[in-house]
Amino acid sequence: MRRGRSLPYVFLGPTLGILVVLALVPTIYAINISLQNRTLSQPTADYVWFANYVALFSDARFLNALWVSFKWEIISVTATMVTGLALGIAMFEAASPRVRNILCVLFIIPVLLPRVCAAFVWKFSFHPLYGALTWPVREITGSTPDILSTPLGALLAVAFVDVWQWGLFFAVIILKLLESLPPQPLEAARIDRASRFGVHRFVTLPMLKAPLISLLLVKAIESLRSFDLVYVMTRGGPGISTETLDMYAYSQGFIESGKISYASSMAVIMMVLTIVTFTFTWKRLNR
Amino acid sequence: MATVECRDIRKVYGALEVMRDFNLKVDDHEFVVFLGPSGCGKSTMLRMIAGLEEITGGELLIGGQRMNDRDPGDRGIAMVFQNYALYPHMSVRENITFGLERSGVPKAEIEGRLAPVVESLGLGVYLSRKPTELSGGQQQRVAIARAMIKTPEVFLFDEPLSNLDAKLRGSLRVEIARLHRSLKTTSIYVTHDQLEAMTLADRIVLMKDGRIEQMGTPEEIYQTPATLFAAGFIGTPNMNFIPMEVSDGVLGADEIRIPACLALDTGPVTVGIRPGAFRVTGEPGAFRGRVERNEFHGETRLVTVRNGSHEINVALPASTVVREGEVIALDVAVEDLHLFEPQSGKRIQHVQ
Repeated sequence: MRRGRSLPYVFLGPTLGILVVLALVPTIYAINISLQNRTLSQPTADYVWFANYVALFSDARFLNALWVSFKWEIISVTATMVTGLALGIAMFEAASPRVRNILCVLFIIPVLLPRVCAAFVWKFSFHPLYGALTWPVREITGSTPDILSTPLGALLAVAFVDVWQWGLFFAVIILKLLESLPPQPLEAARIDRASRFGVHRFVTLPMLKAPLISLLLVKAIESLRSFDLVYVMTRGGPGISTETLDMYAYSQGFIESGKISYASSMAVIMMVLTIVTFTFTWKRLNR
Repeated sequence: MATVECRDIRKVYGALEVMRDFNLKVDDHEFVVFLGPSGCGKSTMLRMIAGLEEITGGELLIGGQRMNDRDPGDRGIAMVFQNYALYPHMSVRENITFGLERSGVPKAEIEGRLAPVVESLGLGVYLSRKPTELSGGQQQRVAIARAMIKTPEVFLFDEPLSNLDAKLRGSLRVEIARLHRSLKTTSIYVTHDQLEAMTLADRIVLMKDGRIEQMGTPEEIYQTPATLFAAGFIGTPNMNFIPMEVSDGVLGADEIRIPACLALDTGPVTVGIRPGAFRVTGEPGAFRGRVERNEFHGETRLVTVRNGSHEINVALPASTVVREGEVIALDVAVEDLHLFEPQSGKRIQHVQ
């Protein structure tokens, strides 16, 4: 009995130990730094306690970054889920098993690409003079559209690349989830006069509620770490219109002023916001 | 209420033809059972009637209208599945009313139709539960309620009792029979269980390898099986088959002699005798043999009697005293003999 009790600790212990070293130590270190006035230019620093946090809330650029991050979460998560569901259901309804397999392989390829590569590839396709995507517009109208230089265009272009990677991947997962469902309730729904769309709306998607919520949260967390995508494609530009929180923290900490404490306080705020939002969402959606 | 008519229905999967020339007319109010071993095509046929399976050739008519290309929802049918096929995320109430809501029946009317259905199946206390919180028998009741509330033209049952334990199977079978008596809806019921078929059916359609082997009332199929397959499939314990020779109006095989009742051509014949048709006799009898096995089954005892290479099963009243190793003589009435042509397996008709 005693041996049975201790077994979980034997398995969990080393993993948790590594996690504590790799995650908890830097976190505590970041919280500690955020309470000081440390910069990269000077070796000494004093504790200023919550002065950084107070300053943040009168920093218009920080508030902008918060708003951009929020928009980015909503747009990228919604677009990914909608694309995944639409393509997944379309494949389930219309494609033969053979076509499904081919499409699945094609749809998985983008997500295998490192995000920095994907960002460079697409940044070049959006290029006003040489881009493949802008070529038809150049040929037809003679103008050179620069999508990445308009605030809305830049945000949507970055979101497009995100969906290209994750939405297609999610379509494969959702197709596999649909295939794993027992066929009889679907047949019963057809006899119950549900339309093709109705079968999914009322039967399959509710049956897949739990895995779909997991996918949603996975994507939400994934969207939070899209620093590399934004960094490569827009560097937060034009202006600060695509500057997400992590992008702003990075430029405050390393590029513009080296205010490492100020940047840390932003990171801490982001962490707290994330934990609160996700705990709340998780509990609410799983009810 | 409606008739169902199958005209030359054919079904092909790739290059494999699983069914052809399936002809059947189900009358209004009739309860027809498709009976057969697994893989005989009975479920495929039912799914074609339901519209869940494409019909390769031939015509399907429900209520006189061609249904081949109609959606399952527009055929006026309701179906009960073997594994219940309830919507797991909906409550029992939502499961039952889903079909009516989809077809746009007003809320007040749904409530009105729900009450009697729920009452007749005793589901009142479960309405707010989820299917997973119910036992198998209760789940199948919900599925039956879901089919009933639509007041369909035709009920389709796809082995509805196969996933239940023996006792529940019995009670739900009685319930289905009761519902059919009161609703009188045309019903097609698929099963591999001959007891279900015999007790429920107005007419049994016995199927084998995608063809109809024999069609008739339970009595007809039991008393005058048309083929060796039908004779062997129906009836528990199984019918005994003895290959015999006809000579001079007497059926014989080794030491067995049975006077033939009809003018038979000289030659080989397969004789089928149900275990219950034998009587123990003091006379020399038609069949003498040594008792090899003696199983007590409660009401009856099943005795295996051997004579040379012939082994037959005999069902005797449990009160009969027989010992293993004992030699007993058995007799059989002429009208209890079923004669078949050995090659074709077809029944040789009694000429009275």
